[in-house]
Amino acid sequence: MTAPCRRRNSPLLEPFADGELPTDKTVEVETHLDECECCRESVELSRALKLSLQRAVRSDAEPSTEFAERVTRALSAERERQEERERQPERGRPLAWRFIVPVAAAAGVTLVWGALDQQGKGTHPDGRISANMATSTPGVTASLDQMVDELVSHHVQSRDPDVVEPSQINKLEPEVGVPVRVPSLQQYGLRWEGASVIPVRQLNQRAASLRYSYDGHRVTLYVYNSAQFPLRATLEPRVVRNMPVYVGSRRGYSIAAVEKRGVGYAVATDLDDRESAELVASIH
Amino acid sequence: MKLFPSLSKKPASTAEFEREAVQHLGALLAVATRMTRNGTEAEDLVQDTLVKAMRAREQFESGTNMRAWLLRILTNTFINRYRRGGLEKAVLEGPDADPLADGWVSASTMSAMRDPESTALRPVLEAEIRRALDELPEEFRLAVVLADVEEMSYREIADIMGCPIGTVMSRLHRGRRILKGRLYEHALDMGIVSPEAVVGSGDAPVSLAAFRAKKAVTR
Ligand SMILES: [Zn+2]
Repeated sequence: MTAPCRRRNSPLLEPFADGELPTDKTVEVETHLDECECCRESVELSRALKLSLQRAVRSDAEPSTEFAERVTRALSAERERQEERERQPERGRPLAWRFIVPVAAAAGVTLVWGALDQQGKGTHPDGRISANMATSTPGVTASLDQMVDELVSHHVQSRDPDVVEPSQINKLEPEVGVPVRVPSLQQYGLRWEGASVIPVRQLNQRAASLRYSYDGHRVTLYVYNSAQFPLRATLEPRVVRNMPVYVGSRRGYSIAAVEKRGVGYAVATDLDDRESAELVASIH
Repeated sequence: MKLFPSLSKKPASTAEFEREAVQHLGALLAVATRMTRNGTEAEDLVQDTLVKAMRAREQFESGTNMRAWLLRILTNTFINRYRRGGLEKAVLEGPDADPLADGWVSASTMSAMRDPESTALRPVLEAEIRRALDELPEEFRLAVVLADVEEMSYREIADIMGCPIGTVMSRLHRGRRILKGRLYEHALDMGIVSPEAVVGSGDAPVSLAAFRAKKAVTR
């Protein structure tokens, strides 16, 4: 038996086995494997572990018939709800806060519909009136709900920006607590207007608010510390451009958020929610 | 004027979507079971995932991989709902001796370890792997399941777990290291491989028997 090769602990071997190395490094590793049994076996063991894990995990949980039936029933019920919703006139539709409803229902909370509908008091087909949402929605859902409301309110208000020059925007960082950059959104025809720091009273936190305009629409991009803003807990997860995006809408405005390396980005727009989701997903 | 003209395409009908999504029930449940380590929670997680997916079905581009899309929703739902306070912190770390990484295990032993067919013990091995996986700290477990079982890329895992790629690599490395160690111990217990004399450098324990005895104490 020969002495073990020092390279068996190389940080390249695992990414190699995962197929994650760039070409030049792949060639480098392959060249070494040709002459080193020890590293070759180490890579083979990694691959064998991967296969064993796949078999072990996949062979374990065979869905029971009862479970399969339960899921089918749940999906049929959801389909009927969606079809029902499509038949209803616009006015009677619950605003998109339906995504919180399962959480609220689980907590035994009175459901809230269309509280801020332009019609005034939104009345749901089943008769619940929702004018007093702040008092009827207790606990965490209410405060998260109000946080989104605050972001939308800031979006709607006009105010003079604290910073107009994009290169000066890092001045906002001490107050916001995360890196703040101006993402390039010109490719979509968005025009930069300026940035401010805004308080989010519900959380006792601050966020940077970056303003853009687009063909007469206003687009606000919020940048915040995602550890302090549980925004994604209140929004519906979707996958856009292969990444999770959290989406919801309020008072006719849509809001979409992504999180990257501890920094949250949320856009508020009067575009439709899919466009907001695309927009926020395009931020690098 | 549309910002994203491609978004105007028509989504799949609910019935079509339902038909296709249900085909992935087994794959989703398998992953959910390892994530939650609890059969009932796993079923709830899968059901929530499919209902959410149906609501968001316009987001799914037909022709792309629906299973991967559903798994992302499942993972996000798991992280958000079942672990809303964030993933539990991995405390398990330390200079624990690692016979595989430290080079005490020969190429022929590694070769024997990865050959469960010859042992006719595959079901035992699979049960052992599931147990070892369940005992991993959550962040490691999630990274390993996504990378090895779901074969997601580092980039995808980083996005889904909300951490840098370097962190994904380190979680994977540490998780797999623990699993390989367990596999090695299992192979020893089963007599698939035999203890070897230590070939490594001077500061390693004198023998593998001594190493195992030391491990048994610290456990
Ligand atoms: Zn080598």
